[in-house]
Parts: sequence; C-alpha cells; structure tokens
Amino acid sequence: MQSRPPRAPAVPPGLAALLILFAAAAPAALEAQPRPTRPDGVRLFAIENARVVTVSGATLDDATVVVDNGIITAVGRGAEPPVGAWVVDGTGKSVYPGLFDAFTTLGHGSAPAGGGFGGFGGFGGPGSGGAQEDPPHSWGPEDRPGTSTWLTAADDIDGADDRFEEWRGAGFTTVLSTLHAGLVPGQAAVLNLRSFDRPRQMVVATPAAMRVNLQDRARTFSGYPGSSMGVFAYLKQLYYDAVHYRDAWAAYEADPRGKRRPEWDPALEPIRMQFAEAWPAFPADTRSDIGRALATTSEMGVRPIVYGAQQAWAAADLLAASGVPALVNLDWPEPPTGGDPEAVPTLSQLRRYDRAPTTPAVLAEAGVRFAFYSGGLGGPDEVLPAVRRAVAQGLAEEAAIRALTLAPAEIFGVADRLGSIDEGKIANLIVADGGLLDEETRVEVVFVDGEMFEMGGDEEADEEEEETEAEEEGEEEGEPGDEEVAEDEEEDEETEAGPRRGRGRGGPPGRGGRGRASGPDPAAPPVPMSANTGPYRDDPVTLITGATVLTASHGTLEDTDILIRDGRIAEIGTGLSAPPGTTVVDASGRYVTPGIIDAHSHMAAMSINEGTVNVSSMVTIEDVIRPEDIGMYRALAGGVTTINILHGSANPIGGGNAVIKLRWGADADYLLIGAHPGIKFALGENTKRDRDPDRYPASRMGVQDVIRQAFLDAREYMAEWDAYEAGGRRGVAPRRDLKLEALMQILKGERWVHSHCYRADEILQLLRLGEEFGFTVRTLQHVLEGYKIADEIAAHGAGASTFSDWWAYKVEAYDAIPHNAALMTERGVLVTINSDSGEEIRHLNQEAAKAIKWGGLDEERALRLVTLNAAIQFGIDDRTGSIDEGKDADLVVWDGHPLSMYGKAVRTYVDGKLYFDIDMDRERQAAIEAEKEALIEKHLGANR
Amino acid sequence: MTRNTLSVAALAALALGLPAPAAAQTYAITGGTVHTLAGETFTGTVVIEDGRIAAVGPDVQAPQGAEVVDATGRHVYPGMFDAVSRLGLTEIGAVDVTNDAREQGGFKPHLQAATAIHPATEHIPVARANGITLTMAAPQGGTVAGQASLIGLDGWTVEEMWIEPGAAMVINYPGLGGGGGFRFGRRGGGGGGGGWAAAQERHREAVDRLDEWFDAARRYDRAVKAGVDLPRDLKNEAMAKVVNREMPVLLSANGERNIRNAVEWAREQNIRFVITGGREAWKVADFLAENEVGVILSGTQAMPSGADVSYDEAYANPGKLHAAGVKIAFATFNSSSSRTLPYEAAQAVPYGLPHEAALAAVTRNAADMLGFGDRIGTIEEGKIANLMITDGDPLEIRTQVTDLFILGRGVSLDNRHKSLYEKYRARPRMRVIS
Repeated sequence: MQSRPPRAPAVPPGLAALLILFAAAAPAALEAQPRPTRPDGVRLFAIENARVVTVSGATLDDATVVVDNGIITAVGRGAEPPVGAWVVDGTGKSVYPGLFDAFTTLGHGSAPAGGGFGGFGGFGGPGSGGAQEDPPHSWGPEDRPGTSTWLTAADDIDGADDRFEEWRGAGFTTVLSTLHAGLVPGQAAVLNLRSFDRPRQMVVATPAAMRVNLQDRARTFSGYPGSSMGVFAYLKQLYYDAVHYRDAWAAYEADPRGKRRPEWDPALEPIRMQFAEAWPAFPADTRSDIGRALATTSEMGVRPIVYGAQQAWAAADLLAASGVPALVNLDWPEPPTGGDPEAVPTLSQLRRYDRAPTTPAVLAEAGVRFAFYSGGLGGPDEVLPAVRRAVAQGLAEEAAIRALTLAPAEIFGVADRLGSIDEGKIANLIVADGGLLDEETRVEVVFVDGEMFEMGGDEEADEEEEETEAEEEGEEEGEPGDEEVAEDEEEDEETEAGPRRGRGRGGPPGRGGRGRASGPDPAAPPVPMSANTGPYRDDPVTLITGATVLTASHGTLEDTDILIRDGRIAEIGTGLSAPPGTTVVDASGRYVTPGIIDAHSHMAAMSINEGTVNVSSMVTIEDVIRPEDIGMYRALAGGVTTINILHGSANPIGGGNAVIKLRWGADADYLLIGAHPGIKFALGENTKRDRDPDRYPASRMGVQDVIRQAFLDAREYMAEWDAYEAGGRRGVAPRRDLKLEALMQILKGERWVHSHCYRADEILQLLRLGEEFGFTVRTLQHVLEGYKIADEIAAHGAGASTFSDWWAYKVEAYDAIPHNAALMTERGVLVTINSDSGEEIRHLNQEAAKAIKWGGLDEERALRLVTLNAAIQFGIDDRTGSIDEGKDADLVVWDGHPLSMYGKAVRTYVDGKLYFDIDMDRERQAAIEAEKEALIEKHLGANR
Repeated sequence: MTRNTLSVAALAALALGLPAPAAAQTYAITGGTVHTLAGETFTGTVVIEDGRIAAVGPDVQAPQGAEVVDATGRHVYPGMFDAVSRLGLTEIGAVDVTNDAREQGGFKPHLQAATAIHPATEHIPVARANGITLTMAAPQGGTVAGQASLIGLDGWTVEEMWIEPGAAMVINYPGLGGGGGFRFGRRGGGGGGGGWAAAQERHREAVDRLDEWFDAARRYDRAVKAGVDLPRDLKNEAMAKVVNREMPVLLSANGERNIRNAVEWAREQNIRFVITGGREAWKVADFLAENEVGVILSGTQAMPSGADVSYDEAYANPGKLHAAGVKIAFATFNSSSSRTLPYEAAQAVPYGLPHEAALAAVTRNAADMLGFGDRIGTIEEGKIANLMITDGDPLEIRTQVTDLFILGRGVSLDNRHKSLYEKYRARPRMRVIS
C-alpha cells in the first residue's frame, strides 16, 4: 500500500450517487459542473445529512460527522460543516464506525492449515507459518516450547500483506493482529488499516491480548508438551514462573548483594510486565472447551478471552458468570461436500452445524460480551453474510453491529479511542448506501485514522460474490478460524457407517455433492434437541422393593427394599414403607448391586499420555476430562457408576488421574468426586521401548533410576518449601514446580501412586523404592504377575488391580493367569478387576465372575473386585462401593444374577438419579434418530 | 464333582499336559445328560471308538474294555468350535517373530495355515480348558490371505491335529469407503484421499483385480482338465478349488454396504462362502436370509459401530440375525482369548438370541456352514468325537469343563495357567533371611 499511487481520479461507479463538494462552493452551482477530484492531503472532512449509527448512543438521522486530522471532532444533527472541509453528501447513506475484525493474522502471514490434523504427537502436515525443518526439542517447561511472548504483532509487520487493503475494502478499519506460530506466540496488537510509510504507523495498541494455541500447528518445537494435558500444565507453569520471576527480580534489584542473580528469561519478561493487560486469548469452541479454558486460566491467575466460541450457545451461563468475553468465529461449520453419499454425520456434528449461528443471539441474551472475527472465512466480504445468518437466528441488528465495532474495542481496551462514532475518537468510519446488514448494501467510503478511501463499484463487487460461491471446494487457509481444541474427538468426527439406503457397490454416480449454495434456510429455527444426556429420572425419594440385594459389604439380602432419599441410601430393610410421593420400583425377581467402579479406564479424556518426557507428574487428566464421551453412557448401560481415568504408561512417572462419577451430561468439574489425589506410574516394556528421539530409560534398571532420581529432586524441593514455611514465609517463595509438587505430595502421603506393572521383579523393586522414600504404593495396575509375590504386595500394603483373563499380548504378559485376582485375594491383597477398555468396562460384572471360576472366590468377594475394593483403593469407600445406609445411592438393578452371563443391567442409579433405564433408553434412542433425521433433512436434505 | 475313570497311564499323560496318546482308545461316557445338538437331549451313554462316536443313546451299553467315564450329574456337549482363530499361528502378540498368521503380499491363495501351526503353543491348552476343541486357524492380511486349516486342538504334530488342512479360503472383500466416510469432504483426509470418487475408483480397481484372479483360475483349471501341458501354478491351483466350489470362502465384511457388495460379488462368482465379521449384518438380515448366507460373527462383546448407535448393537446383532433365519456362528479371530468364545455367544442371549441357538453357534453351525457338518459339530454316530463334559451350562462363566475328548482322544485340561497357579499357590509364605 505504501507504494500504491493515490486512488485513480475517476469517480468509481459506486459513488455515482455521492456528491463530493467543497463546502465553500455553492451546491447549486456545482451540480452542473464536473465533480472535482479530491486532492491528496485532505485532512478535514464532513459527512452531511447521513444516518449516523454511533453504536455508543442513539442513531442520528440527517446528521453530520466532522473529521479533522484523524479525529472525529463533531457528531450531530444540523451541524455546519467547517470551512475548508471536503464534504461527503450522506443523503440516503448510513455512517457506521469502522468494522473491527477481532482476531486475525493480518501482517503476519497465515497460520498453517488445520486440515489433516492428526492429534498430539502427530502434528499435521508441514505448516507454512513459522514451520521449521528441524525444530528445537523441548524436554520440559523450562525449554519454553513454542513460546515467544516477547514478540509483538506490532513489530515486524509485513507491510506488503495485501489483506490490509482487502479487509479495508470490505469496511474493516481495524483488526486484532496476532502472531500464531507456537503455543504462546506473542502479543497481539490492534492495527488500523490506514496507509503508511512505515507499518508501525498502523499500531493502535499493544499488547492487546496474548494469543494461546493449544496445538503448535507450525511445529516450532518437538517434544514436551506433546498432549493437551501437557499444554495445560505448561501454560500454568509458565504463568507461575512469571509470578515467581517478578518477585525474584524485584527482591534482587532491591538489594542484589549477597544474593544469587535470578535467571533472566525473555519468555517471562512480558508476562510479568503486563499481567493485567495481556489477557490470554484461549481457543475454546464447545462448552467443555470453555470450561477447561476458564478452569486453567483461573489456576493461572488471569482472566481469559476465548476465541472460536462457535458452540458457545451451550456455555453462555459459564461466560456470563465469569465475565469472560468471547470472540466468535463467523466461519459457521457446514457439512463437507463431495463425501460418501451414504455416510451420515454424528448427532454432535449435526448439532454444531445447526446451532453455531445461534450462538451470538444466545450470548447477547445472556449478557456475554462478544465480538466477531472472520476466522476461516474465504475473505472479509463473507463476514456480513455470516453475520446475517446470526441475525436470522435472532441476534438483534444493533448487537450484531456492536460485535463488529464497539465490542471488540472494549474487549481489547481501546474503546476510549475506537469502536463508536463519538467526538474525540479516532475517525474510523464507513459510509454505506444502506443498512450495513442489508444484503444489497455496499460500503462506499471508508475512513481510517481520518484518511478517506473510496471503494470500488458494483462490477468488482459482483465478481467477488461469484468467487465467494465458488470457494466451497477450495481448501481453506488456516486462519484463526481453524482452532481445534479437542484432540480426541475422533468419535465425534467419525461417521456412522450406516448407509441409510442400501444400494449396490459403488453407489449411483453423481451423488457426491452437497453444495453450500443449497444449504438450509438461514432463518429456519434450530431443530429441537432431544434429551440425549442427563438422567432419565431425578426423584427425591425412590423405593426399590423386593430385590435380592448383593451388598458387597455384608452379604446377600433376599427380598429386600432400599429407600433412596436425596441421592443417598436412606434405609435398607424389608417391608419398608414409602412416604407419599415416593417413586416405587418393583424389583422382585431382580438383583441389586452397588454401582460398578472401574479402577482403570482411559475414556472421557482428551489425551492420555504425555510421553515426551520420562517424568510428567506436572500433567493431570483432571485438566482434560471430556464429558461428551458417549463411552460414559455405554458404561452406565453396563452398570458402571464410577471410573478412575488414568494417565497412560508411556513413562515411568506419568500424570495425575481423575476419579469421576458417570453423571452423563454434566460438566467436567461436576464429574469429579473428590477422591484422594493420585498419579500414574509405569514400569516395564511400555516405558523403556525405543523412542525417537532417544528417551531414557531403555531398561528396567533405568526405570528404577528415573523414579529414584525424581524423588531425590522432590525431597530437595520439599526441603526448600519447608524452610520457607519454617521461616514464616518471608522473602521470595521458592519457585512453584508442578512436576516436583506432585512428587512432594506423594512423599507427604497426599497423593497416591497407581503404578502400571507386569513382572514380579519390577513390582518388587517399586515396592522397595516406595519404602525407601517412605510411601506406600496405593495400587499396582495390571500386576499380572502379582500372584507370584502376593505376600510381598500384601506386606507392603499395596492394592492390586488386574485384568480378568488377558494374557500373551506381550512378553511381560506371558505369565498372566486368570487366577491372579483370586490368588492375590487369598493372600490378603486388596484386589480389583479393571477394564482398561471402553468395551470391557461394559461387563465388569462378568469379569468379576471369572474370579469365581478361576480360583474359587465366593460371590461377595468376587463382587467386591469391581465395587467396594475399588472404592477403597481411591479413598471413596465412605461414599460408594457397597450398599450401606448413608452411602451414595449408586445402584444397579439387574434382571438376572449379575455374576452371570445372563444378568443384564436394566437400571443404573448414580446419586439416586436414574442414568440408565433399559426401556427409556429405547425411547431416547428413537428420539435421537428422529432428531438426526430432521437435522439431516435440514442440512443435507437438498443433496441427498 | 465326580472323578472320571481314565486309565492311570492316561492320567499321567494328562497331568503333564501332554497330547493324548495317538493310539485309538475306546471310551464310554455314561450317566450324563447328553446334549447332542442334533435335536435330542437325554441321559445316556456316548461310546467313542477309533476316534469316532460309535454309539450314542439313552440305552447304549458300554463296550467291553472301554474306559468308562462316569458323567452322572454332569452334561455332555459337542466340543466348542472357534470358527476362525489364530491358534497355533501366534504366540506373543507384540513379538513379531512369534507371529506367523500374516504373509506379505495381497494374493496368496496357495499359503496354508497348517504349514505354520505350532502344535506346542501354550495357547491351545489354555483354550481347551474352557471347552474349545476345534478351530479354523486362519491366515490374515491382503485380499486373498490364504487357506484356513480345520484342526482339532490336540496332537503331537499338526498331522495328528488336522481334519482338513485346506479347509477354507480367506478373502478380505475390498471395502468401499475405507475409514473415510463423511470425512471425504472439504476438510479432507481419510480413506486414502482424493474424495469419494477416488474411493469408488479404488474399490472398483480392487474388485476388478480380484475378478481377474478368479478368471485366471478358471482358465487354468479348464486347461489342466483339458490336458493342456502347463507349468504348475500354485496360486491358480489353489484358486481352482474355490472356483469349483470345492473349497468354501471365509469372506470378511463388516459394514452394511460392504456386506451387501460382498454377497453380490460372491454370488456372481458362484462360490461357496460365509461372511465373516458381520458387525452390521443385522441391518441386512433379511437380505442374508434370502440369499442363504451364513455369518461368522467376530464379536458380540464389541463396541457399537458409531457414536449414535445404540449401546447394544453388537449384543443384539446375533439375535436379530437368528430371528431373520440367518445361520450364525461365533469366532474369536484370536488366539489368547479363544477361551472366551462361549461368552461371545452367551452375551447375545439376554439380548434376544435363544440359548439353544447360541449353543449351536459355538458347536455345530460353523461346521454345517462350511461343509464339515457330516464329520463334526454334533454328538451323532459316525462323527469325529469332539466333546466336552461340564458341570453346567457351557456358556456360563462359572461352569467348569471337567473332561474333554478331541478327535476321539481324552485330553488334558492342564495348561500353563493352571500349572503356574498351582506352583505359586504352593509358594511358602514369604521369608527374608536377614
């Protein structure tokens, strides 16, 4: 733009109706004369007789806006244009504040495309922005992976980025420009899209936000963090480090003598300097994404902005309560085209298509501050059509305009100078030939920093429109619209193979296309959502009568009633009377057991392994719970009410676990039940196998060494903190290190070790190591050779959690025997049987029965393997795991003996709420099918 | 539990987990409830002679000199048949060098599982202890994976084990769509790329190639029969048995569309076949019944096929097929978990499969479907003697198999697991010398 000559002197056709006058000349005389050409250098303008949409206040008709030297100096009705002003006749025109694209990469190249995203550990194809052939390898947070907080989008702007002009041509006067490569790429800046000699003249404010990516698509580093939970842990550590850094340097600079100099860190400097201003902008699309962003930033001690937010219709309450603003990506999701004509999107995907455009209206209604951004749209001229879809879904036009003007200015702290038409503000204005949201309206004039730009005419606009429609086949650029916040949503993305209409191989030709052009009526209301989650019933009082009750704690009770009140087991007995209003469930001929507890699961989490480092105790599954996982409901259908979600076994010390109840449909934080904190360890083959790059250890000797060294470090860390505490917490607190903090908690007995293990020798070594450091290993997971050293396990006091009958899948599983659970039980070990599988979890009752067959446990001890013993292992036996008065009403009704192949769960209660009912499930399934039909008809119908 | 009365010598061999002596033995199983799976259940006697069932009935007398096995209070069933497995072909999943089920290449009809079956595998005695007596050990990988071998799970050598070394051809029907499905779109990826049209093209090409192999085998076979002097072609020779309907085909297909396509293709090729896998077979149950196509199901204890599919899709699949009149059998397609075969069948019972049908689906159905029903599958006179004695319903977890007869031989129920259990159960209390 810098080198561009001034606009061509000819008045573009779009301005045919616009009279441009010198105020000094008599209008009547001028009408007959050729229109004069605006000379360069005009700094005083007046837009007369226009409808002025101030956004901040009332809309004014027949009003004048005066612009002097880049500033709005007057706004009002009947104001006389000042002498010498270049007058723009606004008759029939509307003046708006310049549009503000609230999240872009303008001036800094494009972010790499999101297509082909392969999840953590397998980042997608080579990115275009900032990609490195051989990126530096990160072995921990101290390597500051993908972090360049010291960079600002205000610096090093690519002045030749032709998007500046393109955006301005569509009425945008301002953008938030973000750096995008890495995890914390740097500070965002507000830029005005003016002409410039030096690009920095565009800068309005920096830092305006600190962009955060949850994935490093540009591959700026390899190694840690390699999972979503690693990223969350890293972000927390980064901010804790910044706090410590601030305090350490302050103390040092106050009196450096006799003190060790803190390590200078460019990544921390800007964070410590700008805690208040540099709000992290977090990608978050769905309700649970938003919940995770809020939880993480709350731990970081900062307030975020979320971007993406297309499915925030489901999270307006969270945003409203936290006061967190949302940047809404206008690239509404749509069904892909050219795919398998028989394949069907999932309900979750269909709802995304259907509901996303309702998000702005829902947020407005809830009082959430939000702004729009162009996201992955093909170009800025697609913005207003996308906004119109939101308006068609109920968003007030004023709110829509605000989200494109004043709202982003407020969010980024520049509303005192931008975003509305007020005296004293920067003269960023657009003049349009009608209402901005009317389809036919054209933006004719744009003022940026008081500089007037006249737009091209109809011809050009028409061409652009055609391009827009042709765009659909093209692969999108990875603009900030592609944030994919969940890595493991394969199930959501996955299609149901279900050919809905069977036909011969290959299918008929020519049925591939689903055109965007024939999408649904934008004003059609969203398809009502079926209740596909949540409890079927939530009765205050339920009485289950006449059942055979396997208590798991005190034997089997025949013909027994259970009274459930307020989510708890209120009474167990015979002939219990039901108070009025009680829901009575006749369970005669049926069996009732405690809800099953799976001691080892990997469902309902976005990531499982942070295997990039040999000690990853800084991460925790609690950060990445995925409550949308349908596996939870399927487990309920198998009588499971509680699961222990464990980190994987890629490294000797893994991450924190999460014990949740299967309150299907609830938010992640409501699933957690306050079990004793735990952490996953792992021994043997999985931890020592070859990795690229090489990662210590490669032998069981090394595994032991890694764990011992980690505890030695943790002891020092503990001593440091103890000294600080003992000294009355004076001076600078030691650096909080999430990795060592978790290990310190183990040493203090505040966090329990659940260790993956197979061979007797490695198990013994871990037990002895625990004894060396004064802790008891809480559970041994898998522990397939536990039967060989059952006495040692019992003497140490560890629990064991094993498979029923898997073996021979690897060498260390070759001595596995199905009698393991029974034999360890006989020798006094507290044993559970777990699934480690989304399938096996659905019949853990059968797996428990195998311990009767192989090894001869009695029924109660077999049932405890999947109920009470698991509750004890996680410290929740005061609340669940058996049928005792006062415990949570986590109960399963079976239509046959549960320790049999033929008894199936027919009702599953969690906290007294009915989360599975075999008959109501049928109704729910039918409702889901009906909803899908309607959604498919609406969104794919025209092309099916 | 009543002890049986096998000879001392036999007991000694069994205790060591050794294969049974090859010498033919005569047994009389008396007093048990005999479930013939051929339509009758009675209390009576089964006589085994020369490896076969010599007599069976309520009033049959034990012949002179027979080993009498008193099964009073217990049940006699046909031994279970894991219709497709990798028993003998793999030892430790994660250790490549112990795996022989998969050869390189896409077309290898001349390869035979029996060539690689390891009679001393630890997996066979483990499976046996739960009543598995027969299996079709099958190769895998490629479009035509090779020949599955029908074996009894006892023998010092594979020759003593096999009933039919070239029992069925394993063909993986080329699927349409790959894993791509809905992802073939604008956001791309999946299924090998190139979108739906490319996926269709790949599918057509793969089926065309398969058809070409069949055509070549027919030409070869006609020429050989006409006495044309040809160099011997092992692949065509093997395929000739398929095109001549001498050898049945295990034709794998799971999705609804792929099952339909596979069946239509197989009918065009006029081959004998069953569908294996059959995850979505319930959606085409009537179609399968009309075409009299049997299905060997790969898993009832399996996940639903999609996010919105009912939790019990796989549990209910067998019952729906049975109700529609489709003949079904169960298989583990596995080695270490072959012993869980009865549970795959039992899981379907509370979800609609009649118990009798479930039993048939782990004993006789696969034999009938593949053309071995005249030799195995039921307790009938003249059939190869594969049977088990149990203390209850063999599909129920707690039931114990007490005696097993495979290919007419009484075999041991001992195995690696039992001996490790007994060894460590007998471990003295921990002692540490300090």
